[in-house]
Amino acid sequence: MNTDLSKVRNIGISAHIDSGKTTLTERILYYTKKIHAIHEVRGKDGVGAKMDSMELEKERGITIQSAATYCSWNGTDINIIDTPGHVDFTVEVERALRVLDGAVLVLCSVGGVQSQSITVNRQMTRYNVPRIAFINKCDRTGANPEKVTAQLKDKLDLNAHMMQMPIGLENDLVGVVDLVTMKAVYFDGENGDDIRIEEIPADMAEEAADRREALLEEVSMYSEELMEALLEEDEIDYALIYDAVRKGTLALEFTPVFLGSAYKNKGVQSLLDAVEQYLPSPTDVINLALDLKNEEKEFPVTNNPEDPLIMLAFKLEDGRYGQLTYVRTYQGFLNKGDTVYNRRTGKKVKIGRLCRMHSAEMVEIDSVGSGDIVALFGVDCASGDTFTSDAISCSMTSMHIPEPVISLAVIPADNKSQINMSKALNRFTKEDPTFKTFVDHETGETIISGMGELHLEVYIERMKREYEACVEVGAPQVAYRETISQIAKFNYVHKKQTGGSGQFGRVGGFLEPIEEDYEFVDKIVGGVIPREFINSCDKGFKKSMLKGSLCGAPITGVRCTINDGAYHAVDSSDVAFQLASVGAFKEGYLKANPVIMEPIMKVAVEGPSEFQGSVMGSINQRRGMIIGSTEEGTYSVIEAEVPLSEMFGYSTTLRSLTQGKAEFTMEFSTFKAVPKSVSEELVKAYQDERKNG
Amino acid sequence: MGNDLVVSNPLRALGLDAKAEGKESMGLVMARAGLGKTAILVQFALDSMLLGNKVLHVSIGEGIDKTRNWYDDILALLTDGEKIESIPEIMKNRMIMTFKESSFSKAMFVERLEDLVKQGIYQPECLIIDGYDFENNSKESLEDFRNIMTEQGLKIIWFSAVRHRDDERVSKAGVPAPCHEVDGLFDTILLINPDGDAINLDIIKCDIGSVDPGTSLSLDPATMLLKKV
Repeated sequence: MNTDLSKVRNIGISAHIDSGKTTLTERILYYTKKIHAIHEVRGKDGVGAKMDSMELEKERGITIQSAATYCSWNGTDINIIDTPGHVDFTVEVERALRVLDGAVLVLCSVGGVQSQSITVNRQMTRYNVPRIAFINKCDRTGANPEKVTAQLKDKLDLNAHMMQMPIGLENDLVGVVDLVTMKAVYFDGENGDDIRIEEIPADMAEEAADRREALLEEVSMYSEELMEALLEEDEIDYALIYDAVRKGTLALEFTPVFLGSAYKNKGVQSLLDAVEQYLPSPTDVINLALDLKNEEKEFPVTNNPEDPLIMLAFKLEDGRYGQLTYVRTYQGFLNKGDTVYNRRTGKKVKIGRLCRMHSAEMVEIDSVGSGDIVALFGVDCASGDTFTSDAISCSMTSMHIPEPVISLAVIPADNKSQINMSKALNRFTKEDPTFKTFVDHETGETIISGMGELHLEVYIERMKREYEACVEVGAPQVAYRETISQIAKFNYVHKKQTGGSGQFGRVGGFLEPIEEDYEFVDKIVGGVIPREFINSCDKGFKKSMLKGSLCGAPITGVRCTINDGAYHAVDSSDVAFQLASVGAFKEGYLKANPVIMEPIMKVAVEGPSEFQGSVMGSINQRRGMIIGSTEEGTYSVIEAEVPLSEMFGYSTTLRSLTQGKAEFTMEFSTFKAVPKSVSEELVKAYQDERKNG
Repeated sequence: MGNDLVVSNPLRALGLDAKAEGKESMGLVMARAGLGKTAILVQFALDSMLLGNKVLHVSIGEGIDKTRNWYDDILALLTDGEKIESIPEIMKNRMIMTFKESSFSKAMFVERLEDLVKQGIYQPECLIIDGYDFENNSKESLEDFRNIMTEQGLKIIWFSAVRHRDDERVSKAGVPAPCHEVDGLFDTILLINPDGDAINLDIIKCDIGSVDPGTSLSLDPATMLLKKV
């Protein structure tokens, strides 16, 4: 590990599914000599790519969990997180971006900027992650890096410029022209190891010169020296250009674009050079922590290895070595055997073993410095926990975690499966904050919830494969919510006298709609409800919020204000006031015009324009609202908001409507009230369910 | 909020309202590049949306996010920072279609519009076409939009056109190139004109409104909202 932080890069590789990022990562590991043979994602050798370490990933050819690895290129240490492409696993992408300093946005030279690239780009912007783009698959029929670069500008609003020109395209791709050095770079040999640098082919020289001029004009905006050199028409030093591109990239004002074909072993080494040249080191980025001793005031971490340790656990994995916790250090130094504090739990933790992960393989190390990404072995914690040394008490800024929108019941086949399922669920909920589980007390069923059908499907598969838990699965259920739409008063007396000491409590006040989930306001004066029972009222209201009376969904968005009440010197108690509040809530709730809310998904359907009419029709049939459409020649994207409950089975519908030529992605957008007809159906179904036990 | 928006709107000042008039009309906003045509069109669109009309905003050469941002920016100026997406009653009255310059054709657009109308997905009353290429499209092609309006149940179409500083051609009515030969097709023609630090919205033609040609509205150059009549 480098102690010179300018020689460290923590990068993520993010893209739309099937853009070939796992193949790209595999090649990076090969060229940096971390692996000595290349295995394809869906290779005939059955080994699978190095980063797809989970069985399921190998089988499906998609990356489900981000696996961390590191490598070294020209003396620069590069930590890489390979992130999943499917939107259901976006939390993985988000967590990776939170701890990384820079990213490579991989795009397919045929598919271009697809919906998931837009989501990923939005996430990168949210976390201020400088990025470079790699247009992959230039060997494919229809490859058009020019078009993709234009899409980066138009669709992602990036100031993207090609740093290279392809020498040949599709089957004829043999190398690239480097527009900085003005040399042709060829990648010879079976695995592209032999780099041959030649003069630019004569038929490309003029175009290359024009493009270089345009490029230099653009990047001179970020460097006065370069601008001066250009004005004076001096020979331009490459270092000036690298510096200008780097400045523009770090300021998120410029996106250098590289191209090649990872599968055909073209252009990957140039991309590695670019990672080193243009992406930030840990000291180039400002990361903020929250001072827990000073009202969570934000302060920048120092990156100084001599300052007290701060590190963030961003990922947990239960592998063959036991629990692995991936951490990013932000300042300080950690040695094997050190004791650190988990600032969420307040517990002391001894760091027994420290390792670097190379996908599923582990290399033990003795210490880790600032700005690095490593794995801790056998530490009990949750994803998102901050560890520090005794000398400092802080937490890294919280991560944006979306609420689950879909749930389903899982029923274990036998006792053994029940035990294994519990172990699995315990692990998954620690690893993935968007995956949640609970037991429905009415049905006794275990419910799992997450971000989409595929998200839950993957965990069910993992339960079966990794934990040998045979489970039956119920139909997916939408995570409805209930809320109120107007202010309503309540005044409820709870009175019970059945021998022995009785129960008495009266609670008066009102419910009103708010944006936040829940708020309790105490406006009791004159002690009409004694202080010791105020908390009981809060508890009673909270209990009432767990299940609404319309469809049994949790209630959100309610402020409960109490301003009146009565008590009895002998019969009033904590329980009496809790029950009085439950009764009061029930009384007020029905008067507050309660409504059922459903998750609305932001859906993007991409496909040939000829199907646009039928795709729009299909969205409309699903109560969807079309927000807009973008048409680019023969290809179009339709953006819509559609209730999640209407999206089950949409992939099959879309396939049959478009001869399998269109695809869609969706992500949670907001909760909205369901239409009256749907509400009536849900209420009726809930009532029937309760009647039938 | 709704009232503020209606009051501040140049369209109100012109006395134009597709629904109230019940008359089909075509309007044109002209300006040099970067002088705020889209800002004016978006104000017209927002006004129409607030009155309960459905608006189809066709943006040629701009992405969907940029177009959306225009609406949010203008609405934020007119209100207390509101966003369209947070007001479902207005949001349901807007649909955006974007086309690359090279991929826009009238035939393709009509096909898309028919998809929406015939399937009952969206029946626009106001159509905004921002970025129409007046230089390379024929007068006949533009005339066809009149027929489209009748066939598809549209009440009003607003176009934007870029005028070039070095093109001095002008129609008898004072409509500059490239629209000088098609000015007869429009019922309303507005010209955005910078005047020192101010920006004027000159009414060149206003056949169905209540304002006489020659009238000029003053716009706030920072926001492109109406300053005074």
